[in-house]
Amino acid sequence: MCQDPVTLVSKDNKEYEVSRSAAMVSPTLKAMIEGSFEENKGRIELKQFDSHILEKVVEYLNYNFKYGGTNVEEDDEEDEIPEFDIPTEMSLELLLAADYLSI
Amino acid sequence: MYRSRNRPKRGGENEVKGPNSALTQFLREEGISAENIKQKWYQRQSKKQEDATDEKKGKAEDDSFTAEISRVVEDEEIDEIGTGSGTETERAQVSYDARMKLVPADSDEEEYETSHISDTPVSLSSANDRESLTKKRQSTAKIIQNRRRKRKRAADLLDRRVNKVSSLQSLCITKISENISKWQKEADESSKLVFNKLRDVLGGVSTANLNNLAKALSKNRALNDHTLQLFLKTDLKRLTFSDCSKISFDGYKRLAIFSPHLTELSLQMCGQLNHESLLYIAEKLPNLKSLNLDGPFLINEDTWEKFFVIMKGRLEEFHISNTHRFTDKSLSNLLINCGSTLVSLGLSRLDSISNYALLPQYLVNDEFHSLCIEYPFNEEDVNDEIIINLLGQIGRTLRKLVLNGCIDLTDSMIINGLTAFIPEKCPLEVLSLEESDQITTDSLSYFFSKVELNNLIECSFRRCLQLGDMAIIELLLNGARDSLRSLNLNSLKELTKEAFVALACPNLTYLDLGFVRCVDDSVIQMLGEQNPNLTVIDVFGDNLVTEKATMRPGLTLIGRQSDSI
Repeated sequence: MCQDPVTLVSKDNKEYEVSRSAAMVSPTLKAMIEGSFEENKGRIELKQFDSHILEKVVEYLNYNFKYGGTNVEEDDEEDEIPEFDIPTEMSLELLLAADYLSI
Repeated sequence: MYRSRNRPKRGGENEVKGPNSALTQFLREEGISAENIKQKWYQRQSKKQEDATDEKKGKAEDDSFTAEISRVVEDEEIDEIGTGSGTETERAQVSYDARMKLVPADSDEEEYETSHISDTPVSLSSANDRESLTKKRQSTAKIIQNRRRKRKRAADLLDRRVNKVSSLQSLCITKISENISKWQKEADESSKLVFNKLRDVLGGVSTANLNNLAKALSKNRALNDHTLQLFLKTDLKRLTFSDCSKISFDGYKRLAIFSPHLTELSLQMCGQLNHESLLYIAEKLPNLKSLNLDGPFLINEDTWEKFFVIMKGRLEEFHISNTHRFTDKSLSNLLINCGSTLVSLGLSRLDSISNYALLPQYLVNDEFHSLCIEYPFNEEDVNDEIIINLLGQIGRTLRKLVLNGCIDLTDSMIINGLTAFIPEKCPLEVLSLEESDQITTDSLSYFFSKVELNNLIECSFRRCLQLGDMAIIELLLNGARDSLRSLNLNSLKELTKEAFVALACPNLTYLDLGFVRCVDDSVIQMLGEQNPNLTVIDVFGDNLVTEKATMRPGLTLIGRQSDSI
């Protein structure tokens, strides 16, 4: 399978790159990437979200990919997972985005 | 088992077997003992007396001498005050204080500086000692960190937090509910304008997330009249509040007025729901057809009667639990007024109800699908005859049957009720017969062999103590094998390993094997391999399940002895 990074495009046409495996964290993005649509070329337009929201989403995708996988060993030394910071004023909009992406 | 794994093996004279606190271990490793401390004190006293006699010597000489006998600066200063003047007790007191200060100020560098001039036998004088001390300290820190980590993992397991990283949605919801109290304060100041604004923003949140928000608020016990305003949306149709204990009767009234489109409402722990607000709910919510109430103990017989009269013709689902004021009369009012429209009925922990025999007479709807009768006050009130009659009436369409805690039920109910009246291709999705300890393997085996349960998703035989292997094997030979998602076999002590050989369900995600004593590491490994979607197994009280159990990635054991502290 193609391992190129995926590009997410926000409302104001800002582009954010995220690795394919991190994007797979979201079932919605996964379906888009694996489907037989335009999106499987690696460019996904999420025009309903502002760039600052999308930036946070990408941050979360990477965060979840890094710490959330089942590949983390039981007795891993790095057991402490840093907290994911969400600015208060962003929380409601981010909730909508998270809802859409099922993450 | 767990403790010994974490502690490094040391064969010392002080090695005491048994539980051991972190402090004891720290003291031992640092070489601190009562005898040591006493010795140090004597030494310091004698040095001090020498010091006092040499006081008249030159200043430089004096300084160097003081440095020689003292290990830290504080000690030195106090020694100067303490020597010369003052009584013996005063001196002892000062010296004690000095010692108290000495302990935290005991850094490695100071030891190193004084080591080459100090010749006191108790001080750690060589570089070797210092190194080993540092090592010991590090190992102690590591042990403490390890323990903390273990404890956190154990706590997470008990909270069923299988995923280490919570979803972004739940993170957001936590953030929002964290800020609720802050918003609340602001709302008080600016006459609730903030809430209006907030509602506008929340307007776009999907209903599912609004219910998630309700869950998060309930969990934080933050649902009250103020936060309730978040849900006063006009287009909300379904609403579940898991903890309404802080919502006043006024809150319920407001909910009824501002959410007129509600069709399904579930209010758990609604202790403050009173006469007036219940009638408001009935009158102001014209589309309401499903109501689930837990703990509405302020509402009396008269109000129930009025309520059911208002709801006549439109109440389709009614579940009630934990109130002693819902009596036989209220039940008959419910059945007389709404019995023909009811398709789902739940009666749980109602201590004033004994006349369950009324039910078969009134539950006549052709589409009746859910029946839950749980924990009757007198066990003999819910007997085989009543349930058989009921199943004769509604068994054909039943999708959910919950008879938890009806301990008077016997095999007769299974054979003459379930097997007789449930159609061969049955729509049953949920079957729960918890604590029915009179039901035996034979009757259930017969039932499972006669009826195809192709739609069964959730099944619980918790504490049906007489059930043996054959009942479970027969269930798994049934069509239910492919549809089952949750299976509870808690406390089935008769089961043997044989029962689990057949347990291979493609869709099973949750399995409770608590107190099934035969379950061991090999069973766990086998279950993991046979059930590709299984994510959680409860193994409380299964002492043969050890930390050595091999688990497929993605499978979590909860309640394992070796995981707890």
